[in-house]
Amino acid sequence: MAVCVAIVGKDVSRNCLEANEITLKYTLMIYEYSCLFLEFPKFISCLNPDEELSFQYKVLSSLDIVEEKINGINKASDNRELFLGMLYALETHKIYGYVTNTRMKFIIVVDSSNMALRDNEIRSMFRKIHSEYADIVGNPFYTPGEAITFKSFANNIKNIMTGTV
Amino acid sequence: MTHSAIQNNFDLPQELCVKPLVLVGVSGLDTLNNAIHKAIWETFTGGRRVERSPVVFKLISNAHEFPVVKPKRNSYDWYIPRGILKKNWMNKHLYEIPAVTVIFYELDWNDPQWNEKMIECASRVQSMRAALEGRNTKITVVLIQNVLPLPPGEDILASERAVSLCASCELNSQSLFILPIGDHLQGYAIRLENAFYEFGQNYYHSEAKIIRSHKDHLNKNTHQYLYVRHQFKMAFLYELKQDPMIAHKHYSHAYNNLLEIRIVDTNALEIRMVAGYLNYKLCKLLFSLNLPRDAISHFKNHIERFKHRLGFQDLAFEHYAWLSKQFQMFGDTFDEAVKLGLPAVQIQHPGIYYQQAAQYAIVRKNISREICSKVTTYPQPDPLENFAHMEYYGQRPWRPGKLSQEAPEPQMESNGIQALQYLEKQINHSNIIIALYGLAISQFKTYRCPRTRKHLVLQMADEYYDSQDYSKALTLLSHMLWDFRQEKWWSLMSNIMEKALKCAFLTGNIQDYMSLSLELLGKSSSVSLNNKKRIYENFNRVLKKEIPFGDPDLPHDMLQKAIIIWQPIFTSPQLNIALDMASITNCIETKARFLRKTYEVDQKVAVEVYLRNTSPFIMTFSQVSVTINTPVFTSEYAVNNSSIGLEFTSSEVKKFLIEFYPDPNDILKDIQIGNINIQMGMPGCKLELKFNSSNDSNGVYPEFLHFKHTKEILDFDNIRPLSTATIVPRSSKLDINFAHKQPALLGEWYEVCVHIDNKESNPIENLEIVLSLIEEESPSTTEISNNSEGTPQTTPLNLEIKKQMNPGETTLTYFYLRVHKVSVKNIQIKLTYLLCNDNSPVISTKTESLLISVVQPFTLSTTYLSTLMLDINTFYVGEEFGIMPAISILSTWPLVIEETSFEFNPSVQSIETNIKSPLCGMKLNEGEIGTELFLASCDRATDQNVTLGQYNIKWRRSDGRLCTTSKVMIVGYQVLKVPLKLGVTLPAHGIVRTPTVVNYTLENTSNHLIQLDINVDASDGFMFAGLKQFMLSILPHSTQTLKYNLYPLLAGNIPLPKLNLNIPANGLETPLLRQDELNALVQRSLPTHLFIIPQAKGITKLPSCVNPQNITVK
Repeated sequence: MAVCVAIVGKDVSRNCLEANEITLKYTLMIYEYSCLFLEFPKFISCLNPDEELSFQYKVLSSLDIVEEKINGINKASDNRELFLGMLYALETHKIYGYVTNTRMKFIIVVDSSNMALRDNEIRSMFRKIHSEYADIVGNPFYTPGEAITFKSFANNIKNIMTGTV
Repeated sequence: MTHSAIQNNFDLPQELCVKPLVLVGVSGLDTLNNAIHKAIWETFTGGRRVERSPVVFKLISNAHEFPVVKPKRNSYDWYIPRGILKKNWMNKHLYEIPAVTVIFYELDWNDPQWNEKMIECASRVQSMRAALEGRNTKITVVLIQNVLPLPPGEDILASERAVSLCASCELNSQSLFILPIGDHLQGYAIRLENAFYEFGQNYYHSEAKIIRSHKDHLNKNTHQYLYVRHQFKMAFLYELKQDPMIAHKHYSHAYNNLLEIRIVDTNALEIRMVAGYLNYKLCKLLFSLNLPRDAISHFKNHIERFKHRLGFQDLAFEHYAWLSKQFQMFGDTFDEAVKLGLPAVQIQHPGIYYQQAAQYAIVRKNISREICSKVTTYPQPDPLENFAHMEYYGQRPWRPGKLSQEAPEPQMESNGIQALQYLEKQINHSNIIIALYGLAISQFKTYRCPRTRKHLVLQMADEYYDSQDYSKALTLLSHMLWDFRQEKWWSLMSNIMEKALKCAFLTGNIQDYMSLSLELLGKSSSVSLNNKKRIYENFNRVLKKEIPFGDPDLPHDMLQKAIIIWQPIFTSPQLNIALDMASITNCIETKARFLRKTYEVDQKVAVEVYLRNTSPFIMTFSQVSVTINTPVFTSEYAVNNSSIGLEFTSSEVKKFLIEFYPDPNDILKDIQIGNINIQMGMPGCKLELKFNSSNDSNGVYPEFLHFKHTKEILDFDNIRPLSTATIVPRSSKLDINFAHKQPALLGEWYEVCVHIDNKESNPIENLEIVLSLIEEESPSTTEISNNSEGTPQTTPLNLEIKKQMNPGETTLTYFYLRVHKVSVKNIQIKLTYLLCNDNSPVISTKTESLLISVVQPFTLSTTYLSTLMLDINTFYVGEEFGIMPAISILSTWPLVIEETSFEFNPSVQSIETNIKSPLCGMKLNEGEIGTELFLASCDRATDQNVTLGQYNIKWRRSDGRLCTTSKVMIVGYQVLKVPLKLGVTLPAHGIVRTPTVVNYTLENTSNHLIQLDINVDASDGFMFAGLKQFMLSILPHSTQTLKYNLYPLLAGNIPLPKLNLNIPANGLETPLLRQDELNALVQRSLPTHLFIIPQAKGITKLPSCVNPQNITVK
């Protein structure tokens, strides 16, 4: 049972500032900046809503590692593997990462004491989340680039978290 | 002083942290009075670099007293240790007891008072030996000599005296050194140092051995402490010996022995502290042995073991202070190793440990607040007064050296605890925590963890807030807000903003307060509606110059303080707050755009301003204005709000239109929308908000926004800002049309008609129209003209046109163009005129361009024919041939050939005298071909192809007026000379069984005799009479005629009997002709067939056209 799931993505709006001649250079700068820094939380779900804030901070911190890993992967030849493995092992929690080909980041937080979930279980959990996410992106009522607010999606993710699916 | 030492009880003692070095005692140097001694001392101690031996020197005066040697113990049977590590032991070995003592003495080998000095030196050695009685310190003597030494073995005196000196000092000869005072003091010093270092190593090694020998006397029941202590001592001595491997081994023995000791309340502190020290030493050695992984795992195990050994409940804060210190200490050690070149990575670096240290420091703070809140007085008598004189590390000052079995005395114990709690209460925990965060932040920055760093900064801000330093907290929070705004992590943002708002309230920072309020009211903040409502009310209170209400969860005294801070802010009569909202996603969204990309100078520039209120409450503005930046200055235009009003309900969008005339000076320059300024507030309090028009803070892909369902009439999201517009000259409303027939033909005068239609609403004057050629190559292949006569003129060309035009009037003009190259011509027409406006005439221009492609009108191909109408490729002198030019029309427009003529070159003669071209006046369409024939002959032989002359074609378009003459050079073939001419006279046709006469004429045009063998082949179609085979001689410039009577037998096109001319085999030696020339001559001159018509039945009169009649072909 995972305690928190987050979907974080690049904020698309920054990439398409109007590029007229005057701002072109500036835009490129911003673009690079956005690639490096801007991560926009699309969805966060926690089993215990009271802890959501602290989990958000944990997810935020873990993005540092995700970024480093992605950059590392870019250099290696095989970038088919989307599962990034464990990012962090805090005293209380373990944090796992997964990144799609479009650089959408999925984060799962698990209690440190939870020994039942091994890498394989986490991996399959990520796959399920990925397919849920793909369904949402294909949904005509979803505006790409915005936070995901569908109840059904939240329920499905919750089910994945609790392992009832 | 002691109190602060107790508060920081868990700091590592300084003697533990220093790097242990071999201690060398130096005596006999008078550094104060003797310059040479001083120089020697400085050579040894000054400027020590890494590569020098790890030795430290200590100056020992003659009267120095070393620590007393403790009596030797033969048995440990009755000895009960009172603690683990003695506080003074390390100091003693680091600084007090030298491993080597060096006695410096000035003595040359040839010193005149040798014996006396030798005795003095010996006595010094003796006294030093006495002082070090019981120690194993090595004693050495260094003789300071002024005379440079000779090479060993040569100075007999020296070796003799050295032996005697050693004997009198009772020294081993290896312990005697010479130090010549000369140029190479440094070199000698380094060598001496190495020797001392070796002695020192031996010393420490034997000391450690002695301690090891004690082990046999110990037993595990009573001497557990000693197991630890002895291992520690050995490890430390090996460290002094600079042997980290063995030192590490002994430290880990010590650590393991320590873990075997049973922990009870009374010794918990001591064991915990000693464990900390041992762990420190172990980690440090592991790092220096380049085993960072082992160091980290050791540290983790260490923490894991001790994390839950809380010890005294009443002193729980001590445990967390210790834990925090452990992490900080490990962070320091790690950092030190990194500085010495250890590579650290993103997930394993010192920052992580500093962060953890800070976490534990926070736990310590919270627990000590909880536990120590009741303590108000410091107990008397001071239970901690012995603290400075404690014998062992980590024992309670009120019961030093008490063994665990003894029950503690309750009153003493509670007093001691109370004293510790009291001291704990005095500590400024926040400072410690903030300092730790500071260390962690700088590390996380180094190891590329920007987000974690941000999180730490926020935690630091929380700590500042906790320590009531609100302004610093606010500064940190607003810095972080900036970053999070970029990331659009709204839920975190809202959390931070709420904290920042509290800080702004508590510090009376009205600027930040208002800006945060606006931002929190926006749609992206995830604050509950109740809170928003409170924020909104407070916001309005400030605008009314009333003190806002504080957060309900703030304690009462802080609210009081805040109100005192706020009061003076509202005392000034006019309160102006200016906020730059450029990068802040707040509850008022603005967009401004020009309606077009270009505005003509006589048009009004229109700017649309859209405002949206995303807060759930009504927002009222007092003024909205827009600044427009031109290259020169900035002007501000306020919106006219009379009709629409500036009150915005929740999520209402309003559009305002601003119109103004542009400055004519800005023609061809850009104007930009600068800021959108909004004013709020009542008289006496003005809040100015400055928005940046290009701020696209809530912009998502514009394409995506089409997915967004919007019910609003004004679709705010889909409005794309256009912040730049160009001022252009007014555009003319004159219409220019061209009437012409494309394509132009090469070489013709091509007529173009220009229609000008005045669609302006006013009359125009001074109309001028100028034509110019664009991208014309040079030299120019184009001629232009403005009259139909086709007089070439220069460009730019003024066209003749009517100067005035009334509205709706049309006028036209022509121009002509002649191009001498197949290409596409670009022609530009520029109109300039004065528009008679109502107020002032405006100069207007209009430019139009026209592309004209130029093509060939026709192509000319020429063929050449012999008199027999056969194609030929050689001309012969004096023989006639036909020139047949063929004009094939390419033009899409029909052409009329007016006239053709052929101008022959002088070497060519026309045969005909009066030529009338059959093509004259003929109209030819595209694809049609016109031909005619000229007869000519050449009178001179040439090897080159002969130029026959120039063919002139005068033509025009069938509807054109101007004729064009195209001239084409006609080039034929080479001209050969043959001395014989062959002619034949033959009727045009014959009639069956009616004889006809054929005359062959052979003319010799040369000055020589020509002899020919002639024979005539028989033919099936004819019977003939005449010479059949004979030899013919033709005299120079004479003619011979051969006459044959033919009697046709068959009707049809019948082959004639063939006349063969041959060079006689036995004729002239150099014949003028070759056989092949003769054959060719016969072939081209003589017809091969004759058309024979059948005989009419009866006697009928033949029509005159078929009347047999001889035609002579020459």
